[in-house]
Amino acid sequence: MSSQIAILIAVLLFPGGLFALALGLGLKGADRRIAARLQGRVGPPLVQPFLDLVKLAFKRTMVPTTAHDLVFLGAPLIGVVSMLVAAALVPISGVYSPAPALGNLLVLIYLLLVPAVVLMLAGSSSSSPYGAIGFSREMALMMAYEAPLVLIVAAVAVRTGMAQGHWVTFSLTEIVEYQRTHGLFLLDPVMWPAVAAFGFFYPANLGIVPFDIPEAETEVLEGPLLEYSGPALGLFKIMSALKAVVVIGLDIALFMPLPLDGVPAFLGWVVEMVVLMVAGVTVLRISMGRMRIDQAFVFFLRWPLLLAAASLAVVVV
Amino acid sequence: MTTTSIADPMSPATTTIPVGPLHVALEEPMYFRIDISGERVAHVGINAGHVHRGIEYLATKRTLIQNVVLTERICSLCSNSHPEAFAMAAEEIGGIEVPERGKYLRVIAAEVKRVASHLFNVAILAHLVGYDALFMHVMQVREIAQDLKEGVFGNRMDLGAICIGGARYDLDEETTALLRSSLDKLEPEIAEIEKTYRTNGSILRRTRDVGVLANSDAIACGVVGPVARASGVDYDVRREAPYHVYDRMPVEVKTRQDGDVWSRAMIRLHEARNAISIIRRCLDTLPTGPVNVGEKPDVPAGRAVARSEAPRGELIYFLKTGDSEQPERLKWRVPSFMNWDALTFMMRDAKVADIAIIVNSIDPCVSCTER
Repeated sequence: MSSQIAILIAVLLFPGGLFALALGLGLKGADRRIAARLQGRVGPPLVQPFLDLVKLAFKRTMVPTTAHDLVFLGAPLIGVVSMLVAAALVPISGVYSPAPALGNLLVLIYLLLVPAVVLMLAGSSSSSPYGAIGFSREMALMMAYEAPLVLIVAAVAVRTGMAQGHWVTFSLTEIVEYQRTHGLFLLDPVMWPAVAAFGFFYPANLGIVPFDIPEAETEVLEGPLLEYSGPALGLFKIMSALKAVVVIGLDIALFMPLPLDGVPAFLGWVVEMVVLMVAGVTVLRISMGRMRIDQAFVFFLRWPLLLAAASLAVVVV
Repeated sequence: MTTTSIADPMSPATTTIPVGPLHVALEEPMYFRIDISGERVAHVGINAGHVHRGIEYLATKRTLIQNVVLTERICSLCSNSHPEAFAMAAEEIGGIEVPERGKYLRVIAAEVKRVASHLFNVAILAHLVGYDALFMHVMQVREIAQDLKEGVFGNRMDLGAICIGGARYDLDEETTALLRSSLDKLEPEIAEIEKTYRTNGSILRRTRDVGVLANSDAIACGVVGPVARASGVDYDVRREAPYHVYDRMPVEVKTRQDGDVWSRAMIRLHEARNAISIIRRCLDTLPTGPVNVGEKPDVPAGRAVARSEAPRGELIYFLKTGDSEQPERLKWRVPSFMNWDALTFMMRDAKVADIAIIVNSIDPCVSCTER
């Protein structure tokens, strides 16, 4: 009974739920603020993403008459729930490790793809032609970054598993524990290609420039999100904020969990979050333009795939 | 509103998507009915007429002097070219000789507008490829030109620099110094922007070999301005039929052969830089004397055609005057009207992602075209 309550707390309060949402929105606010400063603008206040959500909460959700109501309104809910569970699956070194009953790395990988699927559902159910283009782009992009992601995760899982005498381990807790005692994978040259490949994966998964192709505002007017308004759009914003925490949290768990305990560990984790957000998202997105979907597809099949495969090959051999 | 059919995006059949009349990537209302199959454009239908304001009719209800003000308000980005060509037509009818200093001042006003207009277009290109940091930077550089306009002419968009018979403003020591110092600031910045557009991967990836207009198609469509010059058509009114004092100015007409979006942007950046040399030459050789022929020069009955090189290309004005103070007919042909049809050629087999970039590359001025 108590373990179920612990899981509920993990999903709804900490480290998932409210905490992850607040952190995600804070990261988004920092991203917008810093991007603005780098571009010579003043930028919105840090709490702007919160204010946006409050505003959306008080608006009406318009459903297009030609849309499939159930899918149209259900899609954002599925997205948010999947990300809530995913956030509870990400361990924080020295602070929190997910209950085995909740799931492991494999479950997390599948959950990470749910937002993309949800966006595809949203795009196709909205009956907007822009949504349809967004759908096909989201699908192509997902197929492009999926393969490198699997290879990256396999490299980490096999590396940890082999070091512990069995083939692979899909327990994030074990992966974090191994690094705490044997040194971070970030400092292991064998894993560097995988770290780099993950660096390409997360802007694509988070949908930011240069990989914001499915939602490209100047091309397809936010694509799948075009027809959304009010609380339903707010749910998508919540989903995207949670996703930022999950993806960056996964990056930290896979490659750089700090060997600390208690409050310093928690603070260190937050700092890592912010640094990765600024370095991997903010700086990247303001220093590049958008790729075309065919260019992004070829790019992913070339570099990240190759890098991830290289790490895996070295680890296995 | 045209009905849009919703097809399965994975099916090979075409889907129709509306681009415009309200679209974030279009600065002005245009409507493109685009049939796509997957990400490829199969057919483009262009529809105009959303912002018709009846200005040609209005012009026949106003006096010639009032029309100088009216024509300036046809469009904001080429706001100097319209009254310029209109005044040239009126002067042609009245046989009015513009004083030398007035001609120089007109060239300065025209070239300042050219710098601001070209920088604006190039900035929007960066925005469309999602490179917002570059967009902000180019717009900041353009801000120097905007401040210059505000300082010298008193306005940031409509300069009010033209009157029939000359220029309506004059330069004194203070404004000349402001002009010179602004040009000194602008020139290295534009050279830097040119270098960025020539070398930056994000820009090149999205603009090279995109929206290609072959030389033969360019001639067939009769395109003008930077669009023509990027497709190898060596034509610039400032050189072919020099007006004001352009025959004494260092006008460099640069052409490129590729005819893609990138070439058009590079032509614009080059012209912006060239405009600075032209303004400098004007300031160096500016003669003294009156700037115009006086308040209300006499324009008798008659008809005339005048043309000038607006930032977007050749602008032609036809003016027919009668016995009254109002013109009997005022008609103009704007560069965007000529470049419009070439879009069909440029969008052949384009990707959906490139539509906005291609449209922007002709620097469409809808308020000129649909007056």
